Amino acid sequence: MSDAADPHGPYETLRHQEETTIAGMWLFLASESLLFGGLFLVSLIYAHTRANGWAAGVRHTDLVIGGVNTVILITSSAIYTLAVEAARQDHKRRAVQAAMTAAALGLVFLLLKAFEWSKEFKEHLFPGTHFAITGADAGGAQLFYSFYFLATFLHAVHMIVGTGLIAWICLRAGKVNPGKSWNTSVEIVGLYWSFVDLVWMILFPVLYLVGRT
Amino acid sequence: MTETPASLFPERSYLWQDGTLRSWLLTTDHKRIALLYLVTITVFFATGSIGAALIRLQLIEPGGMILSDETYSRMFTMHGIVMVWLFLVPSIPVTFGNFLVPLMLGARDLAFPRLNLLSWYLFVASGLLVLYGLFRGGLETGWTFYTPLSTDYTQGRVLPVVAGVFLSGFSSIATGVNIIVSIHQLRAPGMTWYRMPLMLWALYATSVIFVLATPVLSITLLLLAFEHIFRVGVFDPALGGDPLLFQHLFWFYSHPAVYIMILPGMGVVSEIVSTFCHKPIFGYRFVAWSSISIAAIGFLVWGHHMFVAGTSLYAAIVFSMLSFLVSVPSAIKVFNWLGTMHGGSIRLDAPMLYAMGFIGLFTVGGLTGLFLASLASDVHLTQTYFVVAHFHYIMVGGMVSAYFGGLHYWWPKITGRMYPEMWGRIAAALIFFGFNLTFFPQFILGYEGMPRRYATYPEQFQVLNVLSSAGASILAVAYVLPLVYFTWSLFKGARAPGNPWAATGLEWQTSSPPPTENFARTPEVTSGPYDYATLDRLNRTAAEEAPHV
Amino acid sequence: MGRIFLCWSMLLLLLAGEIVATQSGLDRMICALAVLMVLIIVIGFMKIFQAPSLAIIFAVAGLFWLGVLLMLGSLDSFTRTSFFTSGLPVSHWPWQSV
Repeated sequence: MSDAADPHGPYETLRHQEETTIAGMWLFLASESLLFGGLFLVSLIYAHTRANGWAAGVRHTDLVIGGVNTVILITSSAIYTLAVEAARQDHKRRAVQAAMTAAALGLVFLLLKAFEWSKEFKEHLFPGTHFAITGADAGGAQLFYSFYFLATFLHAVHMIVGTGLIAWICLRAGKVNPGKSWNTSVEIVGLYWSFVDLVWMILFPVLYLVGRT
Repeated sequence: MTETPASLFPERSYLWQDGTLRSWLLTTDHKRIALLYLVTITVFFATGSIGAALIRLQLIEPGGMILSDETYSRMFTMHGIVMVWLFLVPSIPVTFGNFLVPLMLGARDLAFPRLNLLSWYLFVASGLLVLYGLFRGGLETGWTFYTPLSTDYTQGRVLPVVAGVFLSGFSSIATGVNIIVSIHQLRAPGMTWYRMPLMLWALYATSVIFVLATPVLSITLLLLAFEHIFRVGVFDPALGGDPLLFQHLFWFYSHPAVYIMILPGMGVVSEIVSTFCHKPIFGYRFVAWSSISIAAIGFLVWGHHMFVAGTSLYAAIVFSMLSFLVSVPSAIKVFNWLGTMHGGSIRLDAPMLYAMGFIGLFTVGGLTGLFLASLASDVHLTQTYFVVAHFHYIMVGGMVSAYFGGLHYWWPKITGRMYPEMWGRIAAALIFFGFNLTFFPQFILGYEGMPRRYATYPEQFQVLNVLSSAGASILAVAYVLPLVYFTWSLFKGARAPGNPWAATGLEWQTSSPPPTENFARTPEVTSGPYDYATLDRLNRTAAEEAPHV
Repeated sequence: MGRIFLCWSMLLLLLAGEIVATQSGLDRMICALAVLMVLIIVIGFMKIFQAPSLAIIFAVAGLFWLGVLLMLGSLDSFTRTSFFTSGLPVSHWPWQSV
């Protein structure tokens, strides 16, 4: 892609293309919010109809790792926003540096998450026949952990996709003379990255906080 | 509109500009992608039809003709899944939608051409996964995948099929995003919202459902696959889970998806009715907004699929009342089409025959829906052939008629060739007759209590079942006919002029088939849609000037 | 730059608030704080008000249908009276006490 609008493409001006791309990304994120919405409906219902078991599950999650991970994600999202601002002012080098820092923080998040998972596997918190929580609330706790593993898995997949997108941005910065269309790419990847952060801001209280005491 | 001088356009159309296979498989031209989709969904339509043929063959005898009970279950499941996700949901949006949205807007392409190509590859991959699962044994859950049958008890190949349907969802979302953003951003100068053809309003409404309902299906299938693979409880009642929650999530998508399967058909019919009556659509704004309101209300009514499943009475009453609301915008459309036809000089070409078939069959399908929206009568009719007949009147009588109508209507534009009109009319009449013979007896069967999804039935139902199967064989012939004469017309059909139907709309102002960039100059829109007065005046002027040229 | 730092510190503060609320068992407070954090991200990081106006329309549409999903989707579960597990009828709205 070059600075001028592609004469065979559907746009008259580059600004028109930029605006359209950003709008399209927002529409995709609206779609994504309903993907997670289905999950949150599951948690909303079970947290109330199976309140005791659900709360027993919440009490077994690792608040320290969850909290640290939340701080990491907030920071990562903030730093990527710096990359977007730098790209807007055509400071390519600063933009790439910030983007890479954000991605590195994302990887730290994923590592911590993997560690947390392995800990939970060892403690037999994955639902199944040897499930650690027993008693009257075992069923509800299993439902909680089914939700926990699927929700964190889905979020982690989004993190991995996001990290890949940031890597793509950085690679492209090295190759082409990054004109306005590169800046737009930086921006839409930023929207995605912040959205993944946003989902965690809801997942964190649902998985670690609400019902803990 | 007059024939624009050929010199305004490049010699070669989008079809032949670059003929290599590679150029087709890597194309970002919305018109070529539409054709790729057209071929793909035709294959799936044929596959799904084989399932239907076997079902009707089986039900000729009360004890069943050819299939074991289990194979029968796998057959109707295959028929349902292929027809819903690989044919009906994509059908009009990905073919005519892809082809026409930029043309009707006066744009060079959709907003995200590469995303459009990606959506086709996703769709092909999803189709292959589904077919792999179906041919490696299939599954017996019905197209609805209800838990716990699909998670704990099934012997079938749930995973590849679920994965395929999951992927097809992303293809739908990509198409939906493309259409919505294109309509917002790529309208030609002067093309205001109320100057857009009704087809675009219908496709916009459909895309809203694509984008906002499909993700819920994705997450539902993900939860299902998670439970199936790891044997953990998500909907498992043994752990206190709620199997009905699966149904809520499933129908949150699948009821709006019913409107995915009818709204684009309504758009096609609006175009055809206006053109062949040579009149503007009666109550344009009402028809336009009724599309949007059908899409919106369609999200609020899914509970009527679960009246006898054990949902709360309170929820059932709310969903029942909301369901009745959908009939209002649907009726607005039907009456406005009739209002348009009233007093018009109607030309009964094949597209118009299909459109009229649509109006009649959709009305029957819609009115029988009211019986199913009412709590009391639904208890008697649900899970019987009444339901089967009802939704086939909407989906086959409605959507497939509209699809064929659209195919005949835009065939000259897409290929540059005319189809044989007489054969077109014969096929349209045969489809209408065969369809009614197949499905009308099923209303009676259902009312008398024949349950759906069984491989056998009591003897007193045989006469009606044989009638239904006879109708299905007529329908099969009627569906093969267009395939034959469309193929014939590609080679031998008369060359199509730019505007063979004397229709309004920007797509008819370019050549048939259009050049790759759609329009030589970006068109400027100066009047509303369906402005036949201007069209006729220009044609008269052109006719007077013609001898001097 | 300064604005981003401000948003970042506000998010950390709110996170601390959430932890405190957890220790006091104030579940509704946690939810309110989480909504605030989401708003800060949408306005501060995703800059929705600087985006094309279409973005706002799409975001509002997404939010609206999310509300429909959550409200109508939970309607049945929260009003069901004929469904018993472990002897307890499930017949209350979340904000009613059992």
